[in-house]
Amino acid sequence: MFDLFSDAAKVAQQMEIICSEYGFALWETMYSLLLEVLFSYVIGLPLGVLLVTGEKEGIRPLPRWLMTVLNAVINLLRSVPFLILMIIALPLSKLIVGTKVGTAATIPPMVIAAFPLVARMVESSLREVNQGVVEAAQSMGASALQIVGKVLLPEALPSLISGGTITVGTILGYGAMAGIIGGGGLGKMAINYGYYNFKFLVMWAAVIGLIILVQVFQSAGTRIAVKCDKRLRNRS
Amino acid sequence: MAGIIELKGLSKTFGTGENQVSALKNVSVSVEKGDIFGIIGLSGAGKSTLVRCINLLERPDQGSVLFHGKDLTELKEKELRLQRRKISMIFQSFNLLDQRTALDNICFPMELEGVPRKKARQRAKELLETVGLPDKADAYPVQLSGGQKQRIAIARALASDPEVLLCDEATSALDPKTTGQILSLLQTINKERGITVIIITHQMSVIEQICNRVAILDSGEVAEIGDVVDVFSNPQSQAGRRLVSPNVAEPALDWDIPIARIAFNGSVSEEPVIARLVTTTGIPVSIMGAATRNVDGKAFGTMLISLPEDPGKKKEILDFLNGCQGVSAEEVTEHV
Repeated sequence: MFDLFSDAAKVAQQMEIICSEYGFALWETMYSLLLEVLFSYVIGLPLGVLLVTGEKEGIRPLPRWLMTVLNAVINLLRSVPFLILMIIALPLSKLIVGTKVGTAATIPPMVIAAFPLVARMVESSLREVNQGVVEAAQSMGASALQIVGKVLLPEALPSLISGGTITVGTILGYGAMAGIIGGGGLGKMAINYGYYNFKFLVMWAAVIGLIILVQVFQSAGTRIAVKCDKRLRNRS
Repeated sequence: MAGIIELKGLSKTFGTGENQVSALKNVSVSVEKGDIFGIIGLSGAGKSTLVRCINLLERPDQGSVLFHGKDLTELKEKELRLQRRKISMIFQSFNLLDQRTALDNICFPMELEGVPRKKARQRAKELLETVGLPDKADAYPVQLSGGQKQRIAIARALASDPEVLLCDEATSALDPKTTGQILSLLQTINKERGITVIIITHQMSVIEQICNRVAILDSGEVAEIGDVVDVFSNPQSQAGRRLVSPNVAEPALDWDIPIARIAFNGSVSEEPVIARLVTTTGIPVSIMGAATRNVDGKAFGTMLISLPEDPGKKKEILDFLNGCQGVSAEEVTEHV
């Protein structure tokens, strides 16, 4: 593969590809990431809340069969390999976005793969909230909705942000795989030019781009989580 | 007169089968408006369960919880939530919201009620003054000491303008000095705002310091209930005696001699009761065990002495003792 680097003409050709397509690929990666994270939380966040509040000892217990079904579905979706799940879910894309190909088409399968993860993340974050505080809110006459909105979510915020950071990293990884079925972005660039066409320079450029993105999101997420955690304030 | 809070025949059982534990057995307690009512018991006596039954954080299996004569157990959830605002609670572990400042913690119950933000903050600031922490408005719980956290919790409990304040082991996590400060704050609140205070504790000193009435809980049952002065000076139940004088020598089972229990209910400490007993009656007695305390020059506590077998001499001794001021005596029969 290093032979290819020495071939000046090929290097120039690959550089040209990088220059002309990298920006758009990055943009596609970012906007599909944004939409995927958004919809994953739109579905996953309320589910995660229900997983905590709906259990037997929770603040608003739900029927047991419902909780069993909910848990089973989430586990099921979590256990199907992403690549397979994506292919199974493609017909759904036709239904929702009207097409089975392209970047938009990969968004519904990705959301289906990611929202169960989000639900579990949210669930574990909310479980960290001190039960005594929930009890104190109950003793003040808070409704279940008020407890979720004013106690559980705000108190778990640092942990939710950490979870969100992990989710973003995972979805970025899914996004690269979605390149296989035609989802645009850096992942597609790496697979199409690099893996299928032996343009390794392009592949590495795309991969390095993804690595940098993950690093940036991770450190930003950690920093925000620490900064908004009032439990970490030093005694003044 | 009906009390502000009346618990009638409360029973609560946890677990099933072999692990079944009766936390409360047919407990009835009446608390009058303006009381500082203490509920004391050793750990496992069911006192936390009892206080949590008052605002129905715990639902009793049987019995009713009357607040102003209205049975809370029969209310719909929404009505219950409204009533809970009139019965505030503070906790051993404070239970402040870690991600909110002290001021915002105090605003919390007012937010729940929908009080406008500006008005809520104004009131929260006044409450900070009340609990003596006007400069801690912007501090987060992690920056506060235990005593300060409990003060904020008290301010938060007062924010909904309650009629009753429940204190679940509120001073158990605090050092003695801070405990004293928190207790006198509770006393002030009781006096100035007319808020009825119900205190759960395992510390005798807490009851002694501020309560006017006390119930002693033992294995889920009310062993004794009454005015603090009466219960403390002359506890009638075994649990009561154990608590009042934790070191009192309960007669050992293998003692085969008659024993008398003398209760000192505020007799003058320097009065040589036992010496006079011996010189007056001429009957020698042996002190088998004693746990007395000197409070303000008055003796409180119990003492066990041996009695002669002869019924006449026994009576002579008991009569002498019962004739002394602030002293009562009876023969102990439970060990034979």
